[in-house]
Amino acid sequence: MKKYNTLIFISPWLLTLMVFWAFPVIYSLGLSFTNYTIFGETSFVGITNFIRLFSDPSFLQALKNTSFFVFGTIPFTTIIALILAVLIAEKIPGHRIFQAGYFIPSITSMVVIALIFSSLYARDGYLHLLGNIIGIEVPENGYLFSTKTALPAIMVMDIWVAIGYYVLLFLAGIKSIPIEIYEAAKLDGARFWRRLFSVTIPQITPILLFVLVINTIRSFQVFVEIYVMTKGGPLGSTSTVVYFVFDEGLQKFNMGYASAAAYLLFVIILGFSLLQMKLLSRKGMTS
Amino acid sequence: MSHRLSKTALSIIMALVLVGMLFPLIYMLLTSLKEITSLSGLRLFSVSEFSFKNYIDMFSRGGITGFVFNSAFVAVIVTVGNIIFCLMSGYALARKRFFGNKLLFISATAVLMIPQHVVIIPVYILVSKLGMHNTYWALILPWLVNPLGIFLMRQYISNLPDDCEQAARIDGAGEFRILFQIVMPLCKPALAVLAIQVFLTNWNSFLYPFILTSSPELYTLPVGLAMMQGLQQINLGQLMAGSTIAALPVIVVFLLFQRQITEGITAGAVKG
Repeated sequence: MKKYNTLIFISPWLLTLMVFWAFPVIYSLGLSFTNYTIFGETSFVGITNFIRLFSDPSFLQALKNTSFFVFGTIPFTTIIALILAVLIAEKIPGHRIFQAGYFIPSITSMVVIALIFSSLYARDGYLHLLGNIIGIEVPENGYLFSTKTALPAIMVMDIWVAIGYYVLLFLAGIKSIPIEIYEAAKLDGARFWRRLFSVTIPQITPILLFVLVINTIRSFQVFVEIYVMTKGGPLGSTSTVVYFVFDEGLQKFNMGYASAAAYLLFVIILGFSLLQMKLLSRKGMTS
Repeated sequence: MSHRLSKTALSIIMALVLVGMLFPLIYMLLTSLKEITSLSGLRLFSVSEFSFKNYIDMFSRGGITGFVFNSAFVAVIVTVGNIIFCLMSGYALARKRFFGNKLLFISATAVLMIPQHVVIIPVYILVSKLGMHNTYWALILPWLVNPLGIFLMRQYISNLPDDCEQAARIDGAGEFRILFQIVMPLCKPALAVLAIQVFLTNWNSFLYPFILTSSPELYTLPVGLAMMQGLQQINLGQLMAGSTIAALPVIVVFLLFQRQITEGITAGAVKG
């Protein structure tokens, strides 16, 4: 009877885990070796899909765009968020308001954010006008309609939207540092910058690692803002791997081929996460 | 003195950053209150031109009423489901010894590492084959219990003393009664964190509702708004009115429950 109760308690998670996580992850791997489309016959094609991906210009462009997106946003997001968190932790006047205010964009629906920025980036939108005022070269029809500026424009938006979330994580890390360490550092005459590099940053290495890993996982999967703002255009200049997966798999119904692309990205993400963990944990040990 | 001065200077810089952070949302709100569509310069801020016409249009044309209902309906059911099921799973993992306990707990953490994009195609096929595509089931069933919630509840219950449970058990109370009448009330703070987080995540969710529904009757608010964009008959003011309807409840909930939301977000990071 007792065992039976426990089984009931865990069954919702057990079922969800099996049906909506474990099965799809395995099924997806299987699909990537087939030419499955939702209609028609399916046959096993070996690694043909993976070979085809590496000669498919639209996939290669999507992969390039995604990499540019990831490596172009994460350093900015991380550094800006860390600076803001350190300043808020100094308890300057208004720090509570800053903390709350910075966070608001990151809990707002990405669709809403993307719609707002589409309008700000459009021809004669406020950011378009701002570009004119500060004298940067502005595409005539707005940032999202030029192959040169569309992706960077989306990246700027993404940095803006994500900062508050990471500020919060960094703040949690900073607040968990024992106050004695700071007091000791102050007694030793360590000034703000010295305390930052010798106390704060080494102490929050685990959080820094966590932030880098989740931001990598999240950024490699950029999709919503691409779908809402550009649908991968102009001329594929904002197409990302997940957009490619969506387009091939759920619009053209080449699900086997799309699954191969999805899995390839999965492996890339996993590789980067492991690499970051390894690098940062080693660094954490020496300092 | 110079120290205080530099702190004030910092505050001013941080306040400017704050303006930058909030400007797009303020722009959304102000644009939604304007009937004219091409705004230039400071006209955005002129109070005398405010009107609620865009909101009235969005509701009277029907579409958005259904989207708001779908979003609220799905988010409420999913939240209730998570309260019950994460509590149940968390309790079993914290208190019961059974074969695979540890493995099941690890599975919850492992699932958090799986990128969503890997499962969208198989989930789409699965949901279609089960005949649930374009139904409320597709929007609700996969999300009734979530790994982060299980993690949160398991940790919270592990730290509770189990005296009351033992006493109740000696008095002959059944496991369900112990869970829902004794453990659940003690878990209120953690359940509040869980409920708020699940509600907000679902209210904002786009990817799955987008791929698992195909008719406007089932669109949630984010999906509906994404689909409305670019339609000839919808102008910017109306689109921003719809966006405000999607964003405002989230911001209000955040301002009311800031502590719980912060806790929910940082729980995994600091403890995990």
